[in-house]
Amino acid sequence: MSGTGSRSVLQPDPFLNELTSMFECSTEKGSVWVTFKRSSMKSKAARNKMQSAGQSIEYRCLVRATDSKKTISTSLSAKDYQKFQASYATVLKAHMNSLKKRERKDRKKTAEPEKKQVSSKSESSKKQAAPTSKSS
Amino acid sequence: MVYIDSWDEFVERSVQLFRADPHSSRYVMKYRHCDGKLVLKVTDNRVCLKFKTDQAQDAKKMEKLNNIFFTLMVRGPDADISEASGKEQNEQPPAKKGRGRRQ
Repeated sequence: MSGTGSRSVLQPDPFLNELTSMFECSTEKGSVWVTFKRSSMKSKAARNKMQSAGQSIEYRCLVRATDSKKTISTSLSAKDYQKFQASYATVLKAHMNSLKKRERKDRKKTAEPEKKQVSSKSESSKKQAAPTSKSS
Repeated sequence: MVYIDSWDEFVERSVQLFRADPHSSRYVMKYRHCDGKLVLKVTDNRVCLKFKTDQAQDAKKMEKLNNIFFTLMVRGPDADISEASGKEQNEQPPAKKGRGRRQ
């Protein structure tokens, strides 16, 4: 990916806001890329130092997004990734809607509200479904 | 670059690829609203697995894969992903479905 355009490191929530506007600004043309990568967020030298010192290294999930004009990134820890995961799913669901939906059954979605056609014969048809709990 | 047709195969091989090299592997999603196309890629810079689709139902499936990768990347390659992948582990019972002891 070219280095043109800005790069910013953001907190998870601002990242999601920026990601949202990326989607919004690329509906007519262009793409949005999102990349996940496991990262210690440290240089190899720093990692080696820590390892030889017997220190445990914390890993995060690095998330990057780009629309070719700008690149944003954030990182998630074990504490906050589940919350991000849920919000991220919401953003995708809201914006990735140009994909084809498969209509399985011909469900005519008419403008009629659900009219419960209650027949005049109000039979309280209690289907005597004997609770057959087949226990072996 | 290999485009995999089967979603399940893509997921399985992607997870395997990541677990084999958690440091080099990355998971990429590319979405083009104008074309209605979604492409997923998992690579360790040697092997490249891809999945492409224009179906909305695949976006739903992708959500689970996103969760799987969040878990793996934060918690590590040995993390338990059964929850992230959904408790749809249909363990077919060894017994026959029919109730009848045939001996």
